[in-house]
Amino acid sequence: MWAEIRRHLRDFATPVLTGLDGDGYPFSIRCIPELDEAHGVLRVYLPGWTRIRKGPASLLCHGHNELLWDLRSFMVRGTLEPAGGNNWLFRPTRFVPGIGISGLSGMARFALAKRRTAGRYLQRRGLARPRIDWAQLKTLQARARQPSPPQPESPE
Amino acid sequence: MTLPIPAEVEAVLREFRTCEFSTLAADGTPITWPMLPFFRASTGQFMTTTSIGLPDKAFNIRRNARVSLLFSDPTGSGLFDPPAVLVQGDAVAPDVVKTSIGGFENEVMLVYRRQPAGTMYTSNPAMRWFSDWYFMRLEITVTPRRILWWEHGDLSAVPRVVEAIHVG
Repeated sequence: MWAEIRRHLRDFATPVLTGLDGDGYPFSIRCIPELDEAHGVLRVYLPGWTRIRKGPASLLCHGHNELLWDLRSFMVRGTLEPAGGNNWLFRPTRFVPGIGISGLSGMARFALAKRRTAGRYLQRRGLARPRIDWAQLKTLQARARQPSPPQPESPE
Repeated sequence: MTLPIPAEVEAVLREFRTCEFSTLAADGTPITWPMLPFFRASTGQFMTTTSIGLPDKAFNIRRNARVSLLFSDPTGSGLFDPPAVLVQGDAVAPDVVKTSIGGFENEVMLVYRRQPAGTMYTSNPAMRWFSDWYFMRLEITVTPRRILWWEHGDLSAVPRVVEAIHVG
C-alpha cells in the first residue's frame, strides 16, 4: 500500500483530505501531505479554524483536463490524529484505485467488475437487466453538439 | 428557494465540472470521490446520480444521510479566480433504478457538452455491452445545511459560513 501511495501521490499537488466535523458531517479541505517514510504516515497541516476532528478520514487525489477527460483518481482510507499545533498525521489503512491510474487493462477490469456489481444489484431486487435506450442517448449527443448552450437546470 | 449566498459562489456551484463528494461508510470513514453535480437554483438543492455498478454511495446515504460536496477544482469551468466552496447537507438516494433520460435531458446534454469524449461509451455495440451498467443510475438529492466558502480559493483563510439553511 505504501509503495502505491508513494508512486501516485507525487502526481497530485493538493489532495482532498476529508474527516468528520463536530456534527458528524464530512468536512473536506485541500492539503499538501508530506510522506513520513520512517513512520508510514502522511503529515498534513490544517488551518486552526478547521472543523475536522480526530478519527476516520480519507485522502482523495483526482484530476481532469479542460474537457473533463484524462480522468485520474485514487483514494486512501485511514485515520487522522493531531500531532501538535496545526499539524496532523494521516495514517493510511487502504489504497483504493480509481480511474486512469492502472492503464487500459486496469480500466477493462474496472468496467467488468462494475458490470458484475450492477448485475448483483439487479438480481438481489429481482429485476431484469434493463435495456438502455441508446438511440435516445445518440439523439441527445447530437443535440449537445449544436451551438446553443443548454440551460443548466431542468424544469421542476 | 434561493440560497443566501453571493453570486460568485452560486456560479461555482453551477459551473464547476466536478466536486469532491463525501459519504460515510458503515465504519464511519468519510469516502470521497469526484462527482458531476447539478445545482438546482429554484430549490437550492443538488442532484447527482451514481451507477448501480458503483452503489456504495447510495448504500452509505441510506444508512447515514450526512454528506458533503467540496468545489475546489475550477479546471474547465471558465471562471476566473473563483472561491472554493464546501456544502454540507443531508442526502436521499431512493432505491429506484433509472435508465430513462426522461426529466434529465438538460443534465445529460450538459454532460456531453462538458465531456464530449464521453460519447465513446456508446460508440459501438461492444462498448455499449461493456458500459451498459454506467447508464443504470440511482438519483441522489442533497439538501444543503451549511455552506462555507473561501475567497480566491484560499483554503488557508478563515471561510465565510451560512448556517442552518432551510431549503428543499
